Amino acid sequence: MLKKEQNEYLTQTGPGTPMGELFRCYWLPVLLSEELPEPDCPPVRVKILSERMVAFRDTEGKLGLIDEFCAHRGPSLWFGRNEECGLRCPYHGWKFDVNGQCVEVPSEPAESGYAKKIKLKSYPLIEKGGVLWTYMGPPDKRPPEPEYEFCSVPLKQTYTSKRLQECNWLQAMEGGIDSSHVSFLHRGDLHNDPLFKGAAGNKYNLGDLSPVFEVVESPGGLLIGARRNAEDDQYYWRITPFVMPCYTGVPPRGDHPMHGHFWVPIDDHNCWAWSYDYHPTRALTDEEVAAMKDGKGVHVKNIPGTYIPLANKTNDYLMDRAAQKAGRTFSGVAGIGMQDASLQESMGPICDRTKENLVGTDNGIIMARHRLMRAAKALAEKGTIPPGVDVEHQKVRQAALLLKRNVPYAEGAKEALKAKKGVRQTSV
Amino acid sequence: MLSESARMTTAHEAGFRIQEPNSKQRSIKVIALDKASAVLVDQIAKDGWRGASFFTSLSFVAQQNPQSTSGESVQAWLNDLAGRTMDLMSEVANSDFVVVVTCAGEDARAVTVIADACAHYHKSLLSLVVPQEGMSEADVEVSLKHLRPHSRMLVVAQGIDYIEVMLSALRAA
Repeated sequence: MLKKEQNEYLTQTGPGTPMGELFRCYWLPVLLSEELPEPDCPPVRVKILSERMVAFRDTEGKLGLIDEFCAHRGPSLWFGRNEECGLRCPYHGWKFDVNGQCVEVPSEPAESGYAKKIKLKSYPLIEKGGVLWTYMGPPDKRPPEPEYEFCSVPLKQTYTSKRLQECNWLQAMEGGIDSSHVSFLHRGDLHNDPLFKGAAGNKYNLGDLSPVFEVVESPGGLLIGARRNAEDDQYYWRITPFVMPCYTGVPPRGDHPMHGHFWVPIDDHNCWAWSYDYHPTRALTDEEVAAMKDGKGVHVKNIPGTYIPLANKTNDYLMDRAAQKAGRTFSGVAGIGMQDASLQESMGPICDRTKENLVGTDNGIIMARHRLMRAAKALAEKGTIPPGVDVEHQKVRQAALLLKRNVPYAEGAKEALKAKKGVRQTSV
Repeated sequence: MLSESARMTTAHEAGFRIQEPNSKQRSIKVIALDKASAVLVDQIAKDGWRGASFFTSLSFVAQQNPQSTSGESVQAWLNDLAGRTMDLMSEVANSDFVVVVTCAGEDARAVTVIADACAHYHKSLLSLVVPQEGMSEADVEVSLKHLRPHSRMLVVAQGIDYIEVMLSALRAA
């Protein structure tokens, strides 16, 4: 459980809040590249960390992320015309470049220099791995660009999707490090999902429903190991990395692509659930990409033209009680992503953690909260750069492996947990 | 018309949640396995926990407890922080779960007797290893090796700060 004030501390990410300042130390995924596909394409509304912005790709292909509202009289620049290296407000024609600098005020003589005095707040926007990332902190503290493996491999080896999740970011992220729910909520999918099935390791998941957990701090966050008994005096280990503030990896299965998530606050009641899949050494097959686009694995089928899940709270997540009764799904909701999201959204916009009853196996969640709070306090009080900003912290991999019972976990899995270019993942 | 899920997941509806307590006071037994961790446990205990009691196993001996009437095969003794000698089996039997604490590089072998008691009463054993200054990863791993076969959850905790946070999170406060 958390005290009310601790819960508020961790869940509020708007400007000026301690966690908001923490999030503003990192590059965060904002949009998929497909949302701004070409120069002068339509602008896109963006809201993250409780700030409303508009993103656009100008005539020269430069990316901009600026305050959503025109500095003149405040209409949304989403209605703007993206033309000739700037976004022009359709109301009175004021025009802004990718840095938020006003470059034209038609009602004033160009020679007056009036436009130069107008500038909207802007944030850097970069493209990496099919994802557009922003950094919303102080310019002088701008960190190096992100180097998570999923966005560093060639594009043909990676696939990323996103979906709206209508609850606070923390309860969504906590699902990503809560390994003990997998054997229940997702048990039907290990047999059926094309991105999971067939892995030799699945039998250990299904054969031992009481995994034993080990949690250790890593330089960037945590490593959460789940251990199950295996044959020949071995343990089957599944190791989940959490990199601060909101990146999680799902341990792999066989030669299937590796997947995981980013959980980015939109505001305190909504977040973007980003889902990635990549293979370190090979291109994704057409079948794999088709399955991902079809909402399999950790991905979700969205309403066409949106990033809102097809199964969502407005249609009771297409609950299928017959499938639940028959055991085809454990909760009656189809698909891993929405199985998680439906339960996490049901907790309410912000989960009331004063009422929860955690048990010993929830230590991964307890420690993640502790690290986040500790880092936010150190940042606020001493200006300490938090874990996960250093790109070396981001070069971590999830792993699934068999180890002899007398082989130390830290030693046996050490190399498996490092992201290495051209080296296959460690997976069973 | 809005679905039931859409209506019930609003902030407004969250205000109608029943505010009665949904659990009873915990009874967590926190046992230091060595001298170094006894210092930590002693320090933590000073905060006054309603749902946790604290012990050292310094006088831990695997011998028959003359005061025991349980007739259990596992008999061992604990010291509480006031210096009283307590019966391990009784303490474990009256717990919700047991937390053992060891400092890296110290002798954590006493965990085996505590684990037997936990197994007897079907209680979860949660083990914490606290790295000490100057200790290597190998020292931590030696401690983990002792604890691993017995623990439902094994945590490398950075100091008493985390142990206190964890006990609060588990409602021991």
